Amino acid sequence: MSRRIVIAAVLVVLVAAGAVFAEVCLSPYVKRLAGPEKFLYVSAVDADGRDNDFLAVVDVSLASPTYGRVVHTLGLGSAGNEPHHMGWSDDRTKIWLGALLSKRLFIIDVAADPARPTIVKTIDDISAVTGLHGPHTYYALPGRMLLTFLSSADGNPPGGMAEFTNDGELVRVIKNPVDSPYAYDVAVKPDVNRMITSSFTALRNYRKPLSQWDMKDGGNTLLVWDFKERKVLQTLTTDPVPLEVRWSVKPGRAYGWTNSALGDSIWFFGQGKDGKFSTKKVADLGKGCLPADLRQSPDDRYLYVSCFMKSEIQAWDVSTPDRPRLHDTVVAGVSPNMMHVTGDGKRMYVTNSLLSTMDYSEKFWVRLVHIGPDGRLKVDPFFDVDFTKFPSGSARAHDMLLN
Amino acid sequence: MRRRRLGALAAALLLATAPAAYGHQPAPAASAGGRLTPDPSLAVIRPAPDFTLADVNGADVRLSDLRGSVVLLSFIYTSCAAACPLLTQRMAVLQGRLAEAKLFPGPVTLLSVTVDPERDSAAVLARYAQAFMANPRGWRFLRSERDRLGPVLTRYDEWTRRLPDGDIDHPARLYLIDRAGRIREIYNLGLFDERQAFLDIQALLREPH
Repeated sequence: MSRRIVIAAVLVVLVAAGAVFAEVCLSPYVKRLAGPEKFLYVSAVDADGRDNDFLAVVDVSLASPTYGRVVHTLGLGSAGNEPHHMGWSDDRTKIWLGALLSKRLFIIDVAADPARPTIVKTIDDISAVTGLHGPHTYYALPGRMLLTFLSSADGNPPGGMAEFTNDGELVRVIKNPVDSPYAYDVAVKPDVNRMITSSFTALRNYRKPLSQWDMKDGGNTLLVWDFKERKVLQTLTTDPVPLEVRWSVKPGRAYGWTNSALGDSIWFFGQGKDGKFSTKKVADLGKGCLPADLRQSPDDRYLYVSCFMKSEIQAWDVSTPDRPRLHDTVVAGVSPNMMHVTGDGKRMYVTNSLLSTMDYSEKFWVRLVHIGPDGRLKVDPFFDVDFTKFPSGSARAHDMLLN
Repeated sequence: MRRRRLGALAAALLLATAPAAYGHQPAPAASAGGRLTPDPSLAVIRPAPDFTLADVNGADVRLSDLRGSVVLLSFIYTSCAAACPLLTQRMAVLQGRLAEAKLFPGPVTLLSVTVDPERDSAAVLARYAQAFMANPRGWRFLRSERDRLGPVLTRYDEWTRRLPDGDIDHPARLYLIDRAGRIREIYNLGLFDERQAFLDIQALLREPH
């Protein structure tokens, strides 16, 4: 027995010695994929809102004869939901998928058959449970899910967060503070016990066509939280509408980045020696970019930005974290939106629907960008999943998860 | 004696590697210069599902009989190559901290449940416990046959999947249960920091009961 323990210890030493790349832009509590991805799950909004929304399963196993095709769709049983973001449970057996226009939330099992997920629970009125509306980010905690919400139940600010057990029982609700009422993304850096949330707009605004939006009805703050206490410590200011929160993936590094959608900029946030966080604008993405998504490479070297309005994906070298340098750009198609980088950092899947009230293209797709060892981006000409030819017609492809 | 020395060597090796990496997980708080929360307010997550399992001596241990104690519950298996011994070592360090604070043995109980009763006989589990210098007066290693263990694992969402190499894939969680039998914190095995767990336990012991 003792010999076995020593062997185990040596194995840990060996594992620790090697560089282990991990999937980025996921909660650090999510179990990582052991090998290359086989399936890509895509949240899909029926384009005209008349047919049921669904989750599409795309075969991304290179050796498979159906590689690059939708091999299954899981109907959500209702229309007009605007299914948006998704998140893994910590054990990677379930996907939580919520809606921005309805009050439904779906818990989907992918463990029994990853190719044919099934809904195991639907919460029909999440607002009745939480007093909030519009779940956005699904962030796994051990045995639980932490969700951000864009609005209160009436569609107005403040938004907030709600924490659930993995089987969907409410643990607690945390409303945004009155002086920083807008919510959007959340990301936790457990090793420094800090959590940061960002700010978008509320249902009262985003449910209208983009041309009718009140561009002042949105946030320009990041909130720094004591993660353990779920208590706001600081309010930081950025350009309008900071969206994704991306911590450095390096252990112990208390800094990261966010993308300001209306400021066309990347902002750096970091902790000083006094323990306080501050922000500064570190990259100008070009007027009219509308950076919809921000992703990272697993080695912490590059940030990837999707310019939704400019139809361009940019790679920024952040070797010097507070001085990003534009490294490369690529055009994957019109209105690129969500991106998902693989654990080895070599591939990035891209979709092109942002929100039914904001989309300006009627061609929806999932495409693939290869990332070279030099960090250069190249669109795969053979991988093009057409989201306009489902039996129900066209569907808006938005968020993605890999399995 | 030899066994103890080997166990200590294993512990030293494990501790030496702790700040570097945890397989696929980031390093724990220890690497960040002590970002600990001294007086945490822990939400009530849910009632801890009750169970009765046997210890390595064959005596039944019923969770609800431990009301009045703070319980830290983990799920492990002894042939696990990386995560389980690392976790058990951290629990051993926690046992030491609790003992120094005169909280162990006493108002805190540690439980380690094997998810692999087929290979982890009572004797195997007992030797594993000894190798980590677990004090049986407050740290119990539990096993039962599959028909009795299975429902317990289900209630804790502790699914198991045997891999081709014989390893067992299972959720990497620890449960902190308060004196009223409620789950108050769930830790990730890879990010478990025994220093914060110690503070969490102290906070629960300060609560009126």
